Amino acid sequence: MSMEAKTQPMAQLSGLSPRDVLRAARLPIAIVVVLILFGLVEPRVLSLGNFRNIALQASYLAIFAMAQTMVLLTRGFDLSLGYTVSLVSVAASMAMVAMGGGDASILYGVGAAALIAGAIGLANGVLIAGIGINPLVTTLGMANMVLAFASTISGGFPVTGLPKSLTAEFAQGSLLSIPMPIWIAALVFVLLFLVLKATRFGRSLYIIGANPRAAVAAGIRTVPVLVLAYVLCALLAALGALLLTARTGSGEPNLGGNLTLEAIAAAVVGGVRLARGEGGVGAAVLGALFVTVLSNGMNLVQIDGYLQQICLGVIIIVSLIVNRDEARR
Amino acid sequence: MSSETATMTVANAPSHRASRLDRFLMQGGIVITFLVVAVVATALIEPRFLNRLNLLNVMRNFALLLIPSLAQMLVMTAGGFDLSVGAVVAATSVVTAAVMLVGNGYFPGMELAVIIASLVIALGVGALVGLVNAGLVSAFSLSPFMVTLAMMSVLMGIALYFTQGIPIYGVTDSFVANVGRGQFLGLPIVLWAALGVLAACIVMQRFTALGRHIYAVGSDQRSARLSGVATGRTLIAAYMLAGLLAALTGYLMTSRLGSGQSTIGGTLALETIAAAVIGGVSLRGGVGRAELVALAALFLSVIANAMNLVQVDSRYQTLVLGAVLIIALAIERLLLRKRQS
Repeated sequence: MSMEAKTQPMAQLSGLSPRDVLRAARLPIAIVVVLILFGLVEPRVLSLGNFRNIALQASYLAIFAMAQTMVLLTRGFDLSLGYTVSLVSVAASMAMVAMGGGDASILYGVGAAALIAGAIGLANGVLIAGIGINPLVTTLGMANMVLAFASTISGGFPVTGLPKSLTAEFAQGSLLSIPMPIWIAALVFVLLFLVLKATRFGRSLYIIGANPRAAVAAGIRTVPVLVLAYVLCALLAALGALLLTARTGSGEPNLGGNLTLEAIAAAVVGGVRLARGEGGVGAAVLGALFVTVLSNGMNLVQIDGYLQQICLGVIIIVSLIVNRDEARR
Repeated sequence: MSSETATMTVANAPSHRASRLDRFLMQGGIVITFLVVAVVATALIEPRFLNRLNLLNVMRNFALLLIPSLAQMLVMTAGGFDLSVGAVVAATSVVTAAVMLVGNGYFPGMELAVIIASLVIALGVGALVGLVNAGLVSAFSLSPFMVTLAMMSVLMGIALYFTQGIPIYGVTDSFVANVGRGQFLGLPIVLWAALGVLAACIVMQRFTALGRHIYAVGSDQRSARLSGVATGRTLIAAYMLAGLLAALTGYLMTSRLGSGQSTIGGTLALETIAAAVIGGVSLRGGVGRAELVALAALFLSVIANAMNLVQVDSRYQTLVLGAVLIIALAIERLLLRKRQS
């Protein structure tokens, strides 16, 4: 364990041992095993239609997990993510309805979503990086403030009368027979992957996560980097919120209730290391796929929704323990 | 914004006065100021606040916030976090009611024994949850935040699975009458219970080895271990005590509601963290005093009551709670930064 700990920061540079390969393949193997186990009980799990279904559902969760990853990498958290999704869904829908509900109104909805999410992310970032308040408590407080708006601006009721094309294009539409949400999640993945690997901003996130003091000493201006990370997280949450709104066809004040937990769970299961600046968007996507495969399987074998909640908790703990060895110092 | 201007005025004042003000604010002055302002403002705006019945109501709510806030304080001073506190309350409320329902069926006429048995079983559940939390945090050195978040999900799942969200009726009537609605010397029983817990916490923090060990582990786990503190055992004690207090809250809440409810406690994690933080408990562990947490819990209960009296939509109350939490922390940080510079 201790030997690994020493080599760990440079792990990507050293050659790949069989153990490294096994470690990297652990989650994909787990996904296949879970699929097969559920498939034994319920053959429909392994049908082509269900695979498409899983990919579609995972793409929404993957966007939220990638959003959460942006701040997890910096030793941060965003507990306001779920309620940001709720607020954006309602507010963007109200903007679209107010603008007549035609195709052009979608742009106003996107604009409203970006403004609101940008403001939430900016507030989080300034409080956390600028003033220096603990990210957990800042975003917990922010979550409750956002929830208050999400549950009141539409009187607590779903907002209906959205443009038909929103659902037709962004939820049911497909390109090369691959559904639109999957394309969008893939695009987000590619962009974030490049940002993390190839930009100054991306590398700064990892350095801040690995050692905040060293980051300052290395001349990184941590405050703008962190603020940008929180803004990016909130904007990605807003993108996911718009896609979910397109899927339900209405603005829903309760849309994001469980998403905070699920997004954190997906990122953690994927191997984004809390408070260590490790992991990446690839881990978030794999984690989202694993969580989705599991909940899809449990739905198909008709396991009670509350039992699924128990499973989610257990899985978080198990994956924390499994991922721990490499990180222990 | 207002906090910034406040510190700026402080900075412009003569230095010795500023430092005295600083010291007052750092040592619980913030929470005392908050409390006094809240009480005076509420009494002026809404005289009904001072009605006897309303004050009794405030005291009951205060008591049921104080006990879990002290639980949160114990874990936070030990360097941890307990997001599962509300879920323990919900789960133990269900357990309490279920034990009473079953117990009264099998042993009619032995009400007191059933009431005591349900308390013992609820406390056992709380202690078990605390033990598991602490075991995972200390044995695998996992993040307390993640462990208790997962525990919250598990406990809520269990409570909701067994009840399907439906309240469990059949709570013993004399339990509701004597504990939930009961009074002793003109004050609610639940308040006496909370004050007892508060006194026990103060004594533990000030005068016992466990109290000192919790501070030591919270401020620097490594140094604590090197100085001979059994850090694992201290963490287990802190989390188990927190579990016990959360269970006691669930038990007392059941006595007030008259039924076991799996849906209570949803905002309790936020409220208890807010009470602890406003009461000066450090998020980095090692700092925190029970009496200041009690004042903060009283402050939160007063503003909640004030909002009810002036009929603020309950959905906006979380807005105020979140804002108060962030403002209190911002003031604390800005003071700390000024002090360091």
